[in-house]
Amino acid sequence: MVHFLARRSTLRYLILRQTSKLSASMSTSQSGPQTTNIFTSQLRQLRNLSSNDSVLASGNVISHLIFSGNPTNLPKSAKVLPGYNQRSLISCGVRLFSSQAAAATEPSTSDGLTVEGILANNWTILDESENDWKSHASAIAQSIHLIKKRLQWKKLMVRLDLLSAELNKPNLWDDPVHAGKISRKHGSLMGKMKEVMAFEQELCEHIDMLKLAREENDSELESETMKALLRMRRDSKEKELEAMLSGEHDSSSCFIEVQAGAGGTESMDWASMVMQMYKSWAQRRGYRVSVVDEMPGDIAGIKRATIKVDGEYAFGYAKAEVGVHRLVRISPFDSAKRRHTSFAAVAVIPILKDVSSRVQIKESDLRIERFRAGGAGGQHVNTTESAVRIMHIPTGITATCQNERSQHQNKASAMAVLQSRVDQLEMARQAQMNAQHTESLTEISWGNQIRTYVLHPYRMVKDLRTNYEVSDPDAVLDGDLDGFILSFLSASLDKDEDQYAI
Amino acid sequence: MMKARCLLRAPYSSSPLVSSTLHRFCKPGNKFASQNHTLAFSSSVSSSSVSPISSSPSPLSSHHKPQVPLFLRPPIYSATLSDLTNFFNWGKTLASSVGSSFEQIDNGPDATLLLRELKWFLDDAVEDSSLILHLGTPQNERFLSMEVRLRAGLDQIYQLWKQRIEERRPLQYIVGCEHWRDLVLSVEEGVLIPRPETEKIVDLVEDVVGKCGVLREGLWVDLGTGSGALAVGIARVLGKSGKLIATDLSPVAVAVARYNVERYGLQGSIEVRQGSWFDPLMDLEGELAGMVSNPPYIPSKDISGLQAEVGKHEPGLALDGGVEGMDHLIYLCMRTSTMLKPGGFFAFETNGEKQCNLLAHYLENAAGSNFRDVSIVSDFAGILRFVTGYRK
Repeated sequence: MVHFLARRSTLRYLILRQTSKLSASMSTSQSGPQTTNIFTSQLRQLRNLSSNDSVLASGNVISHLIFSGNPTNLPKSAKVLPGYNQRSLISCGVRLFSSQAAAATEPSTSDGLTVEGILANNWTILDESENDWKSHASAIAQSIHLIKKRLQWKKLMVRLDLLSAELNKPNLWDDPVHAGKISRKHGSLMGKMKEVMAFEQELCEHIDMLKLAREENDSELESETMKALLRMRRDSKEKELEAMLSGEHDSSSCFIEVQAGAGGTESMDWASMVMQMYKSWAQRRGYRVSVVDEMPGDIAGIKRATIKVDGEYAFGYAKAEVGVHRLVRISPFDSAKRRHTSFAAVAVIPILKDVSSRVQIKESDLRIERFRAGGAGGQHVNTTESAVRIMHIPTGITATCQNERSQHQNKASAMAVLQSRVDQLEMARQAQMNAQHTESLTEISWGNQIRTYVLHPYRMVKDLRTNYEVSDPDAVLDGDLDGFILSFLSASLDKDEDQYAI
Repeated sequence: MMKARCLLRAPYSSSPLVSSTLHRFCKPGNKFASQNHTLAFSSSVSSSSVSPISSSPSPLSSHHKPQVPLFLRPPIYSATLSDLTNFFNWGKTLASSVGSSFEQIDNGPDATLLLRELKWFLDDAVEDSSLILHLGTPQNERFLSMEVRLRAGLDQIYQLWKQRIEERRPLQYIVGCEHWRDLVLSVEEGVLIPRPETEKIVDLVEDVVGKCGVLREGLWVDLGTGSGALAVGIARVLGKSGKLIATDLSPVAVAVARYNVERYGLQGSIEVRQGSWFDPLMDLEGELAGMVSNPPYIPSKDISGLQAEVGKHEPGLALDGGVEGMDHLIYLCMRTSTMLKPGGFFAFETNGEKQCNLLAHYLENAAGSNFRDVSIVSDFAGILRFVTGYRK
């Protein structure tokens, strides 16, 4: 809020000065009718408002024009603007009247500097504490570049175009469910796109403002702008992280499943260590964890287990853990104290938020098996065992739950797991159909080894995909996984150069 | 959802015992019924090791104060995480030592199930149950001196778990609740712990009132309500306009049922009355839209061989159905046609196929053809368990 007010006061300050004299920067630009210059500079100030304010601001500028100039001249004067001004005007106009085409224009400063241009300049990036605008701008531009890459910018634009075309079909609302889905998707992508554009825009405006302040020897404005740039530089790091989790289901909760590999008790013990690692990790991140299904090993550990991890972006992060995890240690279950290698497989299933995108499961397609106490049942037996196993006959997918305390709840839990598994299968099928399917993150096979944990003869955890490694396995097994997760997410998103283009 | 609705099969029985039973209850008569009922009552008290019932069940005797389930008690005790971890490890060892021995003796719980029960026990006893996920793991070592808030003293926690294993006291009595359908019902000694099979009766009622709004609006009764499980489950299915009366002979059951009704805020729809079967409902003859019951149905001779959790701890009054286990079921069926209004629905739980067939045959043939659509419905395990139908 403070930030916002500060920006507002800068605007008012500038408008006041504008009436007394034209800005020096404006007078150096190609000359045109004075009214046009006033108009463009006012528009530029308008852009100083964050995108959130644009609705309010559009009203302001129109009333401003009515009072200060000749409103009927507006379209004409817009046309006579020199090239670069025209571009910025269009981008303004676009923001005011039709957000659809905004993607077509690239924000730039008054002298035509764009984010691409800043990147090309290769300005040295200094420490944050150095008050150097080029360094700040360069750092921010790099972040924007990374964010666009992570959002798969070019693809995003194509998808947005396709969705817009879909939205404009006159018969769209014949199928309201479909229409709702399209319009939600469009809204969410448009939101992402606008946010990046606005961020770029903001960068250009600050650079303009800074130049203006220097030309006018306005040290107060200069330091204010410098602060704003620094703030942007810090925000950009956060935005980079956000962009990493921009997949369709990344913000969902999820199930994490761990299954012990071959190798008996040693492997089952390893599987329970892996499960414990995720429980701790999830709890550290503030997610709610509940055990859905657990099949204990005969002597120690687990044969398999499923937990539910509830919270924002649980799937986005956890999906980085899919694959086979390998342990090397001296087995506590081997009386000869030999070194053993064990494996545990991890699968992660998103719990779709959008109910309409879930597969409709028919009751008649289910086979529900419940725990039978054996014998006469009913009043004869008092057992807390109330396991339920559900099979979806068409796909053969099954889900089991025995950790809830009533059969009713076990059935509900098992059904939720089953639903998510069926949804995941459907998503994979669709991805394959759309030929977008390269390598599904959630596919699991025993060949797909992702990480090694060595406790003996040396101590190390190494991710085989990113080569990220740490020398403290205890901390990792205690749930300190974010380093691995983030390095994998950034590596997998950032490698794909050709998906990014403006 | 399994909906194996079996069509009625004619009872075939060459056993003289069964045909004599049939013969006996084919002669309806109140005298016989009430005599039989009295007999059953006295036999159940004598066969029960826990007999919380006073000999003269009158409304005045229901001054029992229901126990608050463990998970609802205030967390006024505390222990260090280290102490709690020690308990957990001790409890695990005790549970593991059982192996499959109980299972072999009387089909009781095995070690795996007891370990799960240990976690549920702690879930209820520890204020912050998220701690239990990490009990006994190396991850917790740093926090061992941390204080954990408990709903029972650590001594008591040890004692309760010992009772679970050594005395085979049911977990539900230890924690004072049973998770049933989507409900958590308070239970205590003297009240039958509701069984998962019985959940089905609520589903059956839901189907029936879904098809017939008149029945939804009408008055329902649950006879021998025990903890009030069926009453609460059905009242929630009936919705806001639902009206239901639950009866029980036992003052403990009446107190516990009232407590559960209150906990689910259903005082407006459920009235709990104390008394034997229809005795407290004399004012409602011919006015009931629906009637459900899970009466005692275990044959007396089987009581001694029951799983220890049941035979040693649960009230015989709620289990013992007399010589053939059908004393109460027959009594209830005899009165069904006079209590229900035309079109009214009934559902009874039974001991299995044999009792289902006998009851269905009685209702179809002997009960003066007062009923229609008499059906036998199986439980989730495929055992023919319920008899349902409508009054003509």
